[in-house]
Amino acid sequence: MALVLHTYKGNKGAFKALVAAEYAGVKIEEAADFQMGVTNKSPEFLKMNPIGKVPVLETPEGAIFESNAIARYVSRKNGENSLNGSSLIEYAQIEQWIDFSSLEIDANMLKWFAPRLGYAPFSAPAEEAAISALKRGLEALNTHLASNTYLVGHSVTLADIVTICNLNLGFATVMTKKFTSAFPHVERYFWTMVNQPNFKKVLGDAKQTDAVPPVPTKKAAAQPAKPKEEPKKAVQLLHLLIRE
Amino acid sequence: MALVLHTYKGNKSADKALIAAEYVGVQIDVPSDFQMGVTNKTPEFLKMNPIGKVPVLETPEGSVFESNAIARYVSRLNGGENSLNGSSLIEYAQIEQWSDFSSLEIYGNILRWFGPRMGFMPYSAPAEEGTISALKRALDALNTHLASNTYLVGHSITLADIITVCNLNLGFATVMTKKFTSEFPHVERYFWTVINQPNFKKVVGEVKQTEAVPPVASKKAAQPAKPKEEPKKKEAPAAEAPKLAEEEEAPKPKAKNPLDLLPPSPMVLDDWKRLYSNTKSNFRGVAIKGFWDMYDPEGYSLWFCDYKYNDENMVSFVTLNKVGGFLQRMDLARKYSFGKMLICGSEGPFKVKGLWLFRGPEIPKFIMDEVYDMELYEWTKVDITDEAQKERVSQMIEDAEPFEGEALLDAKCFK
Repeated sequence: MALVLHTYKGNKGAFKALVAAEYAGVKIEEAADFQMGVTNKSPEFLKMNPIGKVPVLETPEGAIFESNAIARYVSRKNGENSLNGSSLIEYAQIEQWIDFSSLEIDANMLKWFAPRLGYAPFSAPAEEAAISALKRGLEALNTHLASNTYLVGHSVTLADIVTICNLNLGFATVMTKKFTSAFPHVERYFWTMVNQPNFKKVLGDAKQTDAVPPVPTKKAAAQPAKPKEEPKKAVQLLHLLIRE
Repeated sequence: MALVLHTYKGNKSADKALIAAEYVGVQIDVPSDFQMGVTNKTPEFLKMNPIGKVPVLETPEGSVFESNAIARYVSRLNGGENSLNGSSLIEYAQIEQWSDFSSLEIYGNILRWFGPRMGFMPYSAPAEEGTISALKRALDALNTHLASNTYLVGHSITLADIITVCNLNLGFATVMTKKFTSEFPHVERYFWTVINQPNFKKVVGEVKQTEAVPPVASKKAAQPAKPKEEPKKKEAPAAEAPKLAEEEEAPKPKAKNPLDLLPPSPMVLDDWKRLYSNTKSNFRGVAIKGFWDMYDPEGYSLWFCDYKYNDENMVSFVTLNKVGGFLQRMDLARKYSFGKMLICGSEGPFKVKGLWLFRGPEIPKFIMDEVYDMELYEWTKVDITDEAQKERVSQMIEDAEPFEGEALLDAKCFK
């Protein structure tokens, strides 16, 4: 039985595992008939992940949820490779940047993005605080990348895969060129990495948004939560957030 | 060189690494001279962690930040021969899954519930409702898993349990009452069993479940004076809630106020306040002129104040709240003063500049004693023979914009 990844198409969380799989030489199938909001509410799915979120990786030995955990599993599936560093301290620093990019970058970027798409209550002070925290995180990352090509060591590790997938969502949705130009080393790092073959295969052509999505009016807030029709850009963005 | 963990005492995130160290048999030193807000702002510290947060582990080979990463590192020391990371690849992966789950779904939501109530983040009832809902959803999933599993993975304590129980501990200590957790009985069983294991007890000590949710922070409960010690949101919550709430000192109402014993003055403060409030047009010609006509330099004094820590004022609503809190605390002086506080600038750092009229020739002592914000500002007496200073007073009363070359974010009046 192959490894099967249950997710909707375009899920940034799934990308992490898929890029890791390219580097580790691991084959992953994406579950063909996955329907967001339907498949992940079935009893079989909830046995794999009781909170019902995606992505979930089904393996012959058992199921794994949480996108970073799945990526870690995939990175170790075929034994030794450079994704996890070549020493204990390198491994620890890979973990440090994985957590940092999830908590300091991804989480704040979502707090900026989600209310504007109507997924969470919008509040100007909360958004201001989220952007301020995001800038603080990017500032720290920028400092590190001024004198480091990769996050850890001298080649791509799992830290880069997770961080780039997180940044990719930010670049695509809320972080305009004007915003990211304050972090030039992060820009350098981002564009170099998304153009590596193993990233490009999974992410496609990375694009940076021209504008921040507007604050939702009451009309926009009434948008259906789980659309099943052909994705247009806005709907694709909705998919990026609803993990239920 | 031993392993050194830089953190403030009681940081529940630091507990993870220390407990793992007990299981692995590794020694970690925790320097007692760590000063939150000071040590972690030094260049040496920022070299270890550019974002300046804690905990940070210093090792002979390099440093590690992020509490879960530190715990993972520690768990693999001493040859890594222990059961903390599972006995197969799938077990390892599932340990990682629960570690991330408990950090993102549980700890993250506990923090978003607790933080705003303590005033570390903006409070909003709908946001809190969403957060509690998300937390319940996560605890429900965890409860389901723990109905038929003693530990998160396998049949003994792993890193997932260490991380998860430390995350839960923050919740039990601060916002999750017995009434709240009784909906998740398997989580309760799990939490109390694991936290009472010897290696946990050694690090965490006696654990008590909170009896009540902290009240929503009012302006009066805002953080006390020195902004340099103000903990950032992620680092602060480990300090127990009651210790952080500021006690508001009641003014001494019955003692005779020395200002009442001053010789009577022709200027009546309430007349000025009425003139200020009622002048709707030609403010300069009516209100400002009226002010200088009635001003009595013998019975009253004018003061400029400048906030000493403007570099802290990066976020607009936090700055406005700070000033608002100051004016709330000035309430005890309302009978004897009038003030204007201008928040200047179109982006951070915002500059806070004030103009105050006090009864008497000096800043009243009881205000200096009772209102701690006073020492956060530089105070200079206005020399009304100096036309430039007089003009500055007028501009501050009328909310002149631009003021000293800058836009006004806000102008608050105390009357």
